[in-house]
Amino acid sequence: MLEWLQRTAVAISIRDSLYTFPVLESIHVVGLALVFGTIAILDLRLLGVASTDRPVSRLMADLLKWTWAAFALTALTGGLMFSTNALVYFHNTFFRAKMLLLVLAALNMLVFELTARKTLGRWDAGARTPPIAKVVATMSILIWVGVIVAGRAIGFTATRTTVPTDSQPDVNFEDLLGLPK
Amino acid sequence: MNQFALWLASTPPSVFIQEHNAWAIPAIQSVHIVGIALVMGSVLMIDLRILGLAWTDSTLRQTTNRFGPWLTGSLWLLLATGLLMVVGEPVRELVSFSFWLKMALVALGAVVAISFQRALRRHEQQWERTVAHSPSLKLLAVVTFFVWIGVIFLGRLIAYDHVWGSWSPAQRL
Repeated sequence: MLEWLQRTAVAISIRDSLYTFPVLESIHVVGLALVFGTIAILDLRLLGVASTDRPVSRLMADLLKWTWAAFALTALTGGLMFSTNALVYFHNTFFRAKMLLLVLAALNMLVFELTARKTLGRWDAGARTPPIAKVVATMSILIWVGVIVAGRAIGFTATRTTVPTDSQPDVNFEDLLGLPK
Repeated sequence: MNQFALWLASTPPSVFIQEHNAWAIPAIQSVHIVGIALVMGSVLMIDLRILGLAWTDSTLRQTTNRFGPWLTGSLWLLLATGLLMVVGEPVRELVSFSFWLKMALVALGAVVAISFQRALRRHEQQWERTVAHSPSLKLLAVVTFFVWIGVIFLGRLIAYDHVWGSWSPAQRL
C-alpha cells in the first residue's frame, strides 16, 4: 500500500518538482498556524485567561469553522508530502508520535463534547468554567505544541527523496522579468 | 555579509548552538512555529472583525485590545527565536534571498500592525463609526493577512533558497 502510494503519479510529480514540496510545506505551516492559533484562543477562554467577557458558545461559533478549514488544508498538504516518501515517513518515530498525538487531540475533543459541552448552557457566559473544561484546554495546548515539535522533528530525521539541491530551477527569474544576467 | 556570517559563526553562542544542533535547531524552530501560530490567530481575528465575519458583538477597539498585545508579544518571541536561528546558522540565513525578502515583508507587516493600532487609539470614535466600515480598511485587512502568509512561505523557503536560482547569493558562494 505504502509502496503503491509513493509510486502514484501525484507522488512522483511532487518528487520531480523543485518547487512543489517547499510550497506544500509552506501551506502546511500556514494551515497548522491557523489551527493552533484559533484553538489556543478557545483554550485560553476555557482556562479563564483571555476573552472571558465573551460567551464560550460565541467563541466556538467564531473560531471552529476556521479551525476545521485550516485543519483540512493541513491534512491535505500533509498527506501529499507523506505520499512522496510514504515508507520512510511511516517508519519514522516522530511521524508516529505525531499521528498518536493527533488521535489524542481527537479523544480530548471527544471528552469535552461528552462532559463540559453538555452543561455549556449553565456556564457559557461566565468567566468561571468547569474544572474538566480547564483540563481539556490544558491538554489541548500541550498536545498541539507536541504535534508541532514532532512535526518539525520529522523534517530533521526522515530523509526526503527530492531532486538534488544542485539541480537548476526550470524557471529563470531574470528571463521572466527581462532582467540582465 | 558573507564575512559577517562567517565571523558570527565563529562566536561562542553560535558555536554552542552548532555543537548542539541536533536538538537546539528543531527546538528553536518549534518555538518559532508556536509564535507564528499566535501571530496568525491574532491577525486572523482582527482581520475577521474588520471584515465583519467574527467578533461582531465586540467593537473594533475591544477586538484589538484583546489580540493586539498577543500579536506584539508573539512578534517579540519570533524576533528572539529568529535571532537565535541566525546566530546558530548564520550562513544559511544571512546568505539567502528568502531571508532578506522575508525581513522586508516582516517590516511591512509590523509597520501596518503598529500604525493601525496607533491610529485606532487616537481616533477611536471616528474609527468605530466610519473607518471600521470603509472598503479600504477591509482591503488592508486582506492584504495584511496575505503579507503574513508570504512571510511564512519565505521563512520555509530559506531551507530551499536554490528555488530562486541566480537570485540566491548562496548559489554564488
